[in-house]
Amino acid sequence: MEGSRPLRILRDLAAITVTGLFMFPIFWWALTSIKPISAVFDKDRVNFFDFVPTFINYGVTLFGQSRSQLAIDEGLGMGVAGADAYDSRQSILESIIISLGATTITMAVSVFAAYAISRMAFRGRGHYLNWVLGQRFMPPIAILVPLVTIYKTAGLRDTDNLYMGYLGLMMIYALMNLPIAVLLMKSFLDDVPKDVDEAAMIDGATRWQTFRKVVLPMVKGGVAASAVLVFIFSWTEFLLSLFLTTDIRTVPVKIQTFVTSTGNEWGFIAALGTAAIIPSFIFILLVQKHLVRGLTLGSLKE
Amino acid sequence: MSSVNIKNVRKNYGNLEVVHGINLEIEDGAFVVLLGPSGCGKSTLLRMIAGLESVTAGDIEIAGRRVNDVHPKDRNIAMVFQNYALYAHMKVRDNMSFSLQLAKRPQSEIDEKVGWAAKILNLEPYLDRYPRELSGGQRQRVAMGRAIVRNPAVFLFDEPLSNLDAKLRVQMRTEIKELHERLKTTTVYVTHDQIEAMTMADKIVILRDGHIEQEGTPLDVYDRPANLFVAEFIGSPSMNLLKGDVTAHGVQLGDGTVLPLPAAHRARQGQKVVYGIRPEHLMLGAGAKARVNVVEPTGPEMHIYAELGGQEICVVTQQRVAPARGSAIEVTPQLDRVHLFDAESGKSLA
Repeated sequence: MEGSRPLRILRDLAAITVTGLFMFPIFWWALTSIKPISAVFDKDRVNFFDFVPTFINYGVTLFGQSRSQLAIDEGLGMGVAGADAYDSRQSILESIIISLGATTITMAVSVFAAYAISRMAFRGRGHYLNWVLGQRFMPPIAILVPLVTIYKTAGLRDTDNLYMGYLGLMMIYALMNLPIAVLLMKSFLDDVPKDVDEAAMIDGATRWQTFRKVVLPMVKGGVAASAVLVFIFSWTEFLLSLFLTTDIRTVPVKIQTFVTSTGNEWGFIAALGTAAIIPSFIFILLVQKHLVRGLTLGSLKE
Repeated sequence: MSSVNIKNVRKNYGNLEVVHGINLEIEDGAFVVLLGPSGCGKSTLLRMIAGLESVTAGDIEIAGRRVNDVHPKDRNIAMVFQNYALYAHMKVRDNMSFSLQLAKRPQSEIDEKVGWAAKILNLEPYLDRYPRELSGGQRQRVAMGRAIVRNPAVFLFDEPLSNLDAKLRVQMRTEIKELHERLKTTTVYVTHDQIEAMTMADKIVILRDGHIEQEGTPLDVYDRPANLFVAEFIGSPSMNLLKGDVTAHGVQLGDGTVLPLPAAHRARQGQKVVYGIRPEHLMLGAGAKARVNVVEPTGPEMHIYAELGGQEICVVTQQRVAPARGSAIEVTPQLDRVHLFDAESGKSLA
């Protein structure tokens, strides 16, 4: 980074401002999750830190504690009964299963597809980028109605068969994420010189051995980064999950049920929302280096 | 027996022919350098020998066996790439033993061969390091180690030294040459660096635009270039090439300067020719007048750039002379070192 001192300070300030703008809602969310209801609904002022922190919202959503009992114990909140509806452990489990499943399917397909696109010549290879962008132009809601019909006919609704419901959601998530995963993996694979494949082949490796023993280990950082991205997209997806499943409620769909006819449970929404950020946050930290590189490469290369 | 025979080989990319019917015999144990500017087809030819590119027409034989349709791994060759193409996730030891592992050789044999190669290449202290922890020269040696552990019939080198700095390049040049002296494995080496070619080759094959321009020993192509392209490409500083017309007294340049010709030559009087003389074969002293432009002392010798008959020439001399810019010098060509080329076809008239 070059530039004069005032310029550097200005640049740092700009960076801090932008980061702050993006981070503030998350911070506020996390703060709300440990506020007692009286602090959430403080109508006289914006309450930053003037409250006694409580973990009741986490207790109820993540650990299945009874809200009414806790509320009475701590002398907090409205103490409404029927708190079972806010126990989100089942949803978290379902979200984990579906996101991991979708990620596995996506990565299993995309590393092979990306290897083929990166290394082999075939008709239509050059149009791949257009296909990816084309798919990204289309809002998911455009395909929702036909998709629901298709899933119903194909027996992929969870109301017919719970396992098929899981599979159905994994499949649609995998399908949605494939283009971006392939594009990412291609950019990582393009980074491995073709000479390496050729050297392996001359060394006596078959195409499969070249892929398995030489190329794949060299892009494992890229595989991890792509997998994390796919996982996060699946983890946060709302619309398709809402429409395609009924008994299965992934975390985003579950959160939405906290908006009820008798009021919005901001504390629970904030707690589950904050908790849902944590896995993504950890994964991103782990693969940050590869992710930034992969995303920029993907934007520069065809 | 591991000679390589290239018979009328052609290579097309779509409708574009890049290698036009090349015939080349590489004897068992020879060190052959394919030399040429970029885009001349030398790498393509090498990759066809390796089996990394298909052969459009013609035949390639290794040790008497036609290998056109044989997979690279079954050709009994080893290749060293320009960027080394090491397996970044494997230690040096595993890089070198990869081919043996794939061939499912016994561990004792693998250890023995890797140890032997590491000893030859001075890689013993680095066997448990990763390629990223090595210097450029060491990586280059690992790439060579990977090649020699297999004891292949033919070594193929694709510009292996072009990623190294100048000093290391000279050192690795010697090492590769020594390795060849030691193993006597048939070697095909591709480069665009004529000094590498001159210093390492038993035979140089000079390529241009998918054709062989000339093949021969290094001194052969240096002393007897078959045409203008070879004359200009081989040698540094390159040969002085002066356009002129053949007269009864010699070759007359544009401004009337006449340069002497050896008694035996095949040029007709009045023919337009190019008069070639290497810088070190131009003597200072009574002769044709030239005007000095620049003098470059290199240490062992002086390079004097001057203008003769309106054309730039270079004179290399070991005399410690440094004529000033603009001053006049006189130069005389060594008659037995004069090359004469037809101006139109570029072919040698010697």
